[in-house]
Amino acid sequence: MLNVLMLGIGQCGNRILDAVNRESFGGSSKLSKYYSRQKFPSRVETLAINTAVNDLKELKFTTAKNRLHVPNLHGVGANRSIGKQGFWDNREMIMEEIERRGDFDIAFVMTSASGGTGSSFAPLVVHELKERYKNITVVAVMVLPFREEGSIYLQNAAFSMRDIKEVDSDGIILVDNQYLKRLSGDIKTAYDKINDMVAERILFLIESLDSEMLSVTDLGDFKTVMRGGLGMGTLGFYESDKKTTSLTSAIEGSLKPGGLLYPADVYEDAARAMIIIQGSRDSLDVDEITKSVEKLSTKIGQVFKGIVIKKGRPKVLSVFTLGQVPDLEMLYAQAAQAIQDEKSRKTRAKKQLDDAFAYIEDLEEIY
Amino acid sequence: MRLIYLAVLVLLVLSMQLTLMAAAASDEEDIENEITSRQFSLKVGEGVKIGDYRVELISVVSVMDGLIEVKVWKRVSEFEDWRVMEDHRDANFDEGAERGGLTLTVIDIFDEEAVRMRAEYRTNFGYPQKYVTERALAPKNLPKLEVSTTVDKTEISVGDEVKATVTVKNVGNDTARDVTIQDSPPLPQFRYLAGYPPKIKNQLQPGESDLAVYSMVAATEGEVKMPATVARYADSKSTIYSATSPSIKIDINPKRRPNLVLNVDPPAPIKHGGQGTINVTVKNDGDASAYRVVVKAEVESQGDGLELLKGSLDESFFEIPQGELETYSATFKGSRSGIYDVNLKASYQGDGEMMQKETAFEVAVLEREYKYLYYLPIVPVLIMSVWLFRRYREYKY
Repeated sequence: MLNVLMLGIGQCGNRILDAVNRESFGGSSKLSKYYSRQKFPSRVETLAINTAVNDLKELKFTTAKNRLHVPNLHGVGANRSIGKQGFWDNREMIMEEIERRGDFDIAFVMTSASGGTGSSFAPLVVHELKERYKNITVVAVMVLPFREEGSIYLQNAAFSMRDIKEVDSDGIILVDNQYLKRLSGDIKTAYDKINDMVAERILFLIESLDSEMLSVTDLGDFKTVMRGGLGMGTLGFYESDKKTTSLTSAIEGSLKPGGLLYPADVYEDAARAMIIIQGSRDSLDVDEITKSVEKLSTKIGQVFKGIVIKKGRPKVLSVFTLGQVPDLEMLYAQAAQAIQDEKSRKTRAKKQLDDAFAYIEDLEEIY
Repeated sequence: MRLIYLAVLVLLVLSMQLTLMAAAASDEEDIENEITSRQFSLKVGEGVKIGDYRVELISVVSVMDGLIEVKVWKRVSEFEDWRVMEDHRDANFDEGAERGGLTLTVIDIFDEEAVRMRAEYRTNFGYPQKYVTERALAPKNLPKLEVSTTVDKTEISVGDEVKATVTVKNVGNDTARDVTIQDSPPLPQFRYLAGYPPKIKNQLQPGESDLAVYSMVAATEGEVKMPATVARYADSKSTIYSATSPSIKIDINPKRRPNLVLNVDPPAPIKHGGQGTINVTVKNDGDASAYRVVVKAEVESQGDGLELLKGSLDESFFEIPQGELETYSATFKGSRSGIYDVNLKASYQGDGEMMQKETAFEVAVLEREYKYLYYLPIVPVLIMSVWLFRRYREYKY
C-alpha cells in the first residue's frame, strides 16, 4: 500500500485538497461527511497549510486537525518574500506537523503558482520533504493563474515555477486556470470544477498505482514519466459514456485538449506518458488497449500502460510530461513584461513623488 | 107560672148539674182503674217511686243470663218483696197492676250495673220518680277486675314469635273469686308455642294482679284482629261478673329473609409482576340475619397467573345481621398476563333454608412492560447525534 501525503498550500491548494477530501467521501453531497467515511485507495494523509486563517475556515471536508495555520500571519499579501520568511520562521512546526503523519512514498504538493503563501511555501516544502524523506517522490501540482489577474500573480507564477524546478522536485503537474476557465462563465463555478477535476484525477492516479493491475504500472513508472521531458506535465481524463464507441476512442479522448488540465498537443509535445484504463473486465479489451498505446508510443516514445479491473464504464487517465511548453514560455514573457511594467510604474511614480517633494525642498513649515 | 117555669128551670139545671156530676164521678172512677205503662232505667242502688210503691235494683245477677235482683215494697204497708227477675218476663208485685199492684218487666240489662225496666200500674200512681237508696249510698264491697292484653309486637313477619301478656287486676274492694280467663279460640294465623291457654290465679285480692304470658309464632301473613279477652269472676255472694280487654290488631308481613349482596372492588389492571388487592363486601340487604355465610372463590386461570400473596377470597361468617356488612380483601400478584375470571359464591342460611348468591368479575394482568424498550428508538438518534456532533467538531475549525 502506498503511503501518500497530500499537501494543499495556500488558498488554491487548500481548496483542491478539500475537493480531494470531498471526493474521498464518494459523493458530492455537502452532508456526505456526516454520514460517510473517507475512502482513500491508499493510506493518504492530507494537510492544508495556510497563513490566512479565514481560508482554512472555508474548508468543508478537511478535518480540523488536518488544517494548519501558520501563526502570526494573516496572509502574505501575494508577497513571496514575506511568505518565504514566514515559512522559515515556522519551518520546524510545519515539518513536524507533516512528519507526525508518518513516512510517505509519494507527496503531492498542491498549490497555486501565483498566490502568496502557496507560491512561496511550495518550493521550500518540496525541498524540506526531499531533505527529510530519502526515497520520497514529490510531485507539485501547480495551478497557473488567469493571465489578466495581475502582474504580481504572473511574476509569482514565474518565480515559483523556477524555484520548484530548482529544488529538484520529481515533477510538476500543471493546471492552467486560463485554459480551464472555459468550463464555466462563472469564475467561482469554474474554480470549483477545476478543483474537482484535479481531485478526481489525482485520486484515480493514486488508486491505480496502488491497485492490482491486469497490466502493471507502479510508482516507479509514474516517477519515470514525471522525470521525462521538462519535468512538467499534466493529466488527461476521459470517462466513457453510451456514445463512446470503443476503448480506442476513450483513450484518445483522454489525450484530446478537452480532457487535459493544461493546453498541449500530446502527440507533438509529450515526452513520456502513462495511460491507465479502468473498467469492468468485459469492457476491457487488452489487445485494443495495447494497439492504442502502441500507436501513441510511435508518436511520443515511452508510454506506460496500466489496466485496472473495476466495475463501471471504462475510465482513462493519461499522465504525461512535456518536451516543450510554448504556453509556459508565453506566460514567462508576459510575466517579464509585467515585471518591467511594474518597475517602470514604480520608477515613474518615484520620480513624480521626488519632483513633488522638490517644491518644498528648501522650505520650512511656518506657523 | 113564672115560678113554675123558674122552678122547672132550676130543676132542669139541677138535674143537668147532677147528671154532669154523676158523669164526672164515673169518669174519675174509670180513670182510677186505668193501667199505664212507663219505662225507666235503673242502676244498682237506685230506685223509683211509683205511687206508694218503691222499686229498687239490688244487683245485676248475670248479664249473660239476664237475671237481676229487685226489691219492691210499699210505703205505709207491710208489703215487701225481694225477687230475682228474668229479662223479658213480667213479674207481678202485690197482685199486679190489674189489681192495684205493680207489674215489672226487665227490658234490657246493660251491664252489671244498669238495666232498663218497664212498670205497669194504675195511672193514678203518677209518674215514676227516681231516688237513690240508702244501700247505694253505703260503700260497696265488690270485686272489680280490669283485663288487658298486650303483645310485644304488633307488626311482625311470618315466622316471628309474639309474646302476648294477659294482665288481670282487681281494682275493686272485695275479693274476686272463681276468676277464669276466656281467651278467643286459637287463631289459625298463629302457631302457639307455650303458655296457651292463659291461666291466672283463681282468686284475686283487692289491688292484686296476675298475668299470664303465652307465645305464638306467626304462620300466615295478613292482618289479624285478636278478640277481646274476657275474665269472669264472682263476688262473695257468688254474683258473677265479667270484664273484657280491648282487642288488638296485629299485622303479619311476609316471611323475613336474608339477602346477601356481594360487592367486589376489583383492582385496576395489575402490572406484570405487580400486585393488586381485591376488596370484597358482603352486605345483608334482607330483613333477617344470614347465618353460616361461606364465601368461596373460583379463579379461572391457567397455571399460577394470579398468585395469592395476602388474605384470601374464601371467607366465612357465622352471622351477618340484617343491614350489616362484612368486608375482607385479598392481595394477588400478577405472574402471567391475561384476563382471569373470578366467580365468587356465597352460600348462607336463613330461616332454615340454604340460599346462595354469586357474582363474577375479571382481573386483568397486563403484558410485561419493557419500559426500556421505549428508549431504544432514542439510541440510534443519540448515536447519530453523537456521530454528527463528533463529525461537526472534527470539521469545525
